[in-house]
Amino acid sequence: MTDLSETFPLELEIEPLSLTDGLIALLNLQAQIDGLEGRHTCAEAATLIDLLILRGLILGRISDYERAAQLADRQVGAATADAAAYMARARTRAVFHRFAEALDDLDSADRMSPHDTAAKRERAAIMQAQGRFDEALSTYYAVIDGVGQFERAAALVGLWAERGEADTAQRFYLDSLRSYRGISPFPVALLDFQLGVMWMRHARLAEARTCFEAAIARVPAYAAAQGHLAEVEADLGNPEAALGRLYPLAVSSDDPDYAAQLARILGQMGRNDESSVWRRGAADRYDELTTAHPEAFADHAAEFWLGPGNDPKKGLRFATLNLEARKTPRARDLLTQALNANTAGATSARCSGAALPN
Amino acid sequence: MSDHFSGPRALTDPAADISDVFAFPAPDNGQHLVMVMDVFGKSGPSAVFSDAVIYRFRIRPVDIAATGLEASFAPSESEMIFDFVFDVPSDTGGAERPVQYGRCLTPNGRTISFRADDENGGVGDGVQVYAGQRSEPFFLDVRMIEKTAATGKLSFKPKGADTLYGTNILAIVVKFDWRKMLEGGPLFAVVCETLAAGKRPVRIERVGRPEIKNVSLSFKMFDQVNEDLEIRDLYNSEDAFDLKPDYFDTYRVRMNANLAFYDGLDGEVDWPFDGHGNHPLTKLLLADFLVVDASMPFAETSYFEIERSMLEGRSHITPGGRWLNEDIMDFVFTLYVNGGNGPPVNDGVDAPIAWSSKAFPYLAPPNPPKGGAA
Repeated sequence: MTDLSETFPLELEIEPLSLTDGLIALLNLQAQIDGLEGRHTCAEAATLIDLLILRGLILGRISDYERAAQLADRQVGAATADAAAYMARARTRAVFHRFAEALDDLDSADRMSPHDTAAKRERAAIMQAQGRFDEALSTYYAVIDGVGQFERAAALVGLWAERGEADTAQRFYLDSLRSYRGISPFPVALLDFQLGVMWMRHARLAEARTCFEAAIARVPAYAAAQGHLAEVEADLGNPEAALGRLYPLAVSSDDPDYAAQLARILGQMGRNDESSVWRRGAADRYDELTTAHPEAFADHAAEFWLGPGNDPKKGLRFATLNLEARKTPRARDLLTQALNANTAGATSARCSGAALPN
Repeated sequence: MSDHFSGPRALTDPAADISDVFAFPAPDNGQHLVMVMDVFGKSGPSAVFSDAVIYRFRIRPVDIAATGLEASFAPSESEMIFDFVFDVPSDTGGAERPVQYGRCLTPNGRTISFRADDENGGVGDGVQVYAGQRSEPFFLDVRMIEKTAATGKLSFKPKGADTLYGTNILAIVVKFDWRKMLEGGPLFAVVCETLAAGKRPVRIERVGRPEIKNVSLSFKMFDQVNEDLEIRDLYNSEDAFDLKPDYFDTYRVRMNANLAFYDGLDGEVDWPFDGHGNHPLTKLLLADFLVVDASMPFAETSYFEIERSMLEGRSHITPGGRWLNEDIMDFVFTLYVNGGNGPPVNDGVDAPIAWSSKAFPYLAPPNPPKGGAA
């Protein structure tokens, strides 16, 4: 198990968790999905949707999210009075940052099943994603008594991390680990990742690296953790290690983020020909994705166009769209960065490479 | 798959989710007892056992403590355990199924190694073990059970739809000479558990009888005391041989309420409550272990026959326990609805996709993937 003692004070040390190996967990996630394919009770469909979202999250497969969204639309059409169908669709809509529509679905689920707290927990998660932190927190606390200690603490890790309150997020993270009684590595790896992202945003790269390494130790195939670790490694002066992580991801994933990272790091290393190949691929894919799912990819597209994509106007457009969907501190920072990059005569420090032809 | 998805915690760990337990005298050898644990219902082709789980068979000699309306068992304090553990698969590249190895630790301390999916299994010290993917032996129409609970009317159709048709499970089978391996008997109580491995193994799930947690305990709406309580994770955390008095009344009230609901489905009261306000089956069913008489010859239908004989004050005539091919849903519904006083309740599903055989490892080979997402 990855040693977290360097990141966290010793008095907060936790016992190693006994978790299913990441390879087995992934094989069994695949087995769950395969076992539910072609079966269509409402509960099975909702489970399949959740599993597809999880696989999409772990492997960085946008196609899984898209398939989950299709299934959820179909499920609502087939079971218009089933709260679980609306809940499942709300989750897929939230994945694609269609928050208003997701909240509409939760309203429907609430009307059909007013005593079910699951819809309220989903609502809190969406409020959090929208940057409505105070409302999210009060919603969480209104329904949190009915869930287990792990679920309670885990829900609050992300909220406090998004809010930038590192100490509180870390405390809930450790509470989560202490109270975890499951054996699936996925919930814990997702928390490791959330905390790593938080440390990245605080520019505490060593702590971020420890968290991403912990996530990867639990689930080696966790694409986003590998990708973020690569970013940290590059920033810590080890671009070759970063490239080694990113090449397989850029090939296997349909998320352009890894190709964009490759383009950025190769550009910084002066390997411009290689960089431009990955840059072109990422640009094409971001164009596809922002056409199909504009809200979902607005933030990453903005970062790409303000960085290796080198199209500040496009970057500003997507940063603006992103802030319309979610009023988080990060979205505001991104818009500020985009506005700066579009100031007359300014050249963003992150922009690199020649402009791509339109 | 009578216990599949039997609690929210089990949902996150499919390889630790026990779906069924069976115990029966070996049809192919009268000296041997067979126990089977099924996990990971509806598993696709890549399913494997978890390396973080101990798959445990617990066996205790048991006596009949009382008969008639107070019928009950008295399990011994002595216990024998078969533990199964598994490695991380060594090869997943290109193989249809990953190659996984495991080990069985027998009650006398012997370790038997085996390769999963090998039908010959591992053999040693008079014990034969198998682990791997097989065809789901259980069959039922879940939608009509849910409809029955929702409408308060028996909703089974003459020809039902098997919810589990063509699905697969992961099975662990152990066959052994019970006189050499076990102490006491010939009446034994069997419970299967999954435990999170580690310095202090923690029970994830336990199963003894079929359809206790799902059909008998899961429905909340008839429980006037705890109508919002998801009871199954709490129940799973209890030792089957030593239910804590702290929560016993919670289980008792839920079981009483649900059994009373089923009893009323035909408009007749076949199970009047006793002087303590309990359904006559509640105490027996909450003793949630399979009881098998290892000295009796194999029988095709034997589940709950020992308990029935106790209630009726006679000697049992079958080994009890549970054989793989029994139509458990018909039996359970008939028992709960009319206690055998009325016509058999038929759920409209009378067979799995493939019957289990009477030769080791008994369960039918796995079905091909259904695939083809709609």
